[in-house]
Amino acid sequence: MVDPSALAADPKGLIAVGAGLAVGLAGIGAGLGEQAIGAAAVGAMAEDEKFFGKGLLMTVIPESIVIFGLVVALILLFVF
Amino acid sequence: MGVSDGAKYAYIVARVRAMKGKLIPREMYPKFLNMEIPEITRFIGESEYKKDVDELGKKYTGTDLFEHALNQNLALTYRKLIEVSQNEANFLITEYLRSWDIWNIKTIIRGKFSGASEEEILESVVSAGQLRYRDMTEIIKIGTVEGVIAAFAKTPYYPALEGYKGVLADIENNLDKLYYSNLIKAVAATGNKLFLKFLRTEIDLKNIKVFFRMKRAGMERDDIMKMLIPGGMELKDADLARLAAMPLSEFVRALEEYSYWKAISDVSGELSSLINIETRLEKYGLVYASQISYYYPLSILPVLDYILSKKIEVDNLRIIVRGKETALPEDIIKAHMVM
Repeated sequence: MVDPSALAADPKGLIAVGAGLAVGLAGIGAGLGEQAIGAAAVGAMAEDEKFFGKGLLMTVIPESIVIFGLVVALILLFVF
Repeated sequence: MGVSDGAKYAYIVARVRAMKGKLIPREMYPKFLNMEIPEITRFIGESEYKKDVDELGKKYTGTDLFEHALNQNLALTYRKLIEVSQNEANFLITEYLRSWDIWNIKTIIRGKFSGASEEEILESVVSAGQLRYRDMTEIIKIGTVEGVIAAFAKTPYYPALEGYKGVLADIENNLDKLYYSNLIKAVAATGNKLFLKFLRTEIDLKNIKVFFRMKRAGMERDDIMKMLIPGGMELKDADLARLAAMPLSEFVRALEEYSYWKAISDVSGELSSLINIETRLEKYGLVYASQISYYYPLSILPVLDYILSKKIEVDNLRIIVRGKETALPEDIIKAHMVM
């Protein structure tokens, strides 16, 4: 059991948990999005190597979500 | 749709889309019509068929080389689809391509029945299904139809063959029916409704072709009914029975009720030759496959669309070269092609 008085004394702990969730969940979301895109990119590349550039670009687009997560995490950690 | 539903088809779909991009573009066919056979062979020898032409160039020449190269390429392409797909897609593609086993069995039995040479039969064999080319070359060496049928005893197609009593049409109908009923059962087991829809439309188109051919030949209702494949999308059992009883002109009018009418409406008056109607129906099947594959991009449909497109490409090339070889006029060759 966590002592409630300890939490009340230092809210930084909860902020850190929030920051962790922001990056972690965004990462999982991006991963789910990327699985189909990555599979498709590899499939197209197997047939034609010219798709490497396009495939790579498409695969990293969901990655931007993680950047939003990271920004939120940084705001949580440094602004609050 | 679950998260992984799309992902499981993403790989194979992207791959077949890339493969489809490499098919011969439609604009090339009119150019082929203006070329001579050596020019076409050279063009084909520099395209996706290069490997097959080079490989078979030592054994065959001229149109034989062409024929064998096309068949080998078709077989290898289809086999590749089976090899690069996984799970449900793999199962469905394997089951669908069993139609080539049926094709090969029919080819071999027909060849033996009419006394064709081993070389002639082998020319038409496409080992894209589950029967291996090596096994089939062994079976072709058998002299009699009964012997060939006995050689297929261990295959799942034997139930359709064992009742052979000297009439080829009977076992051919049985083979077709067995193929489609097994396929419908297999697809229904996976619960893939899109495949089922595609398949049932294919059955309809096949049945319409049978209707036209049989009615034009003046066959009786009962004989026609024997040749029809049950399980169609729009032409249900009751429709089939009703249509089978009609004479040709009435049948053509009755087709207006079905959505396939728009494919053949403008050529429905030309019944002296069925070529226009048959190529229109083929084209309808092709366009239908490509349209629904865009509605459901992450499904088995783009793969089926590719399978059809590839087959039509090979057929068209064969029609051009065979037509040129026999010096047929351009418009007749064109009428036979699906473009």
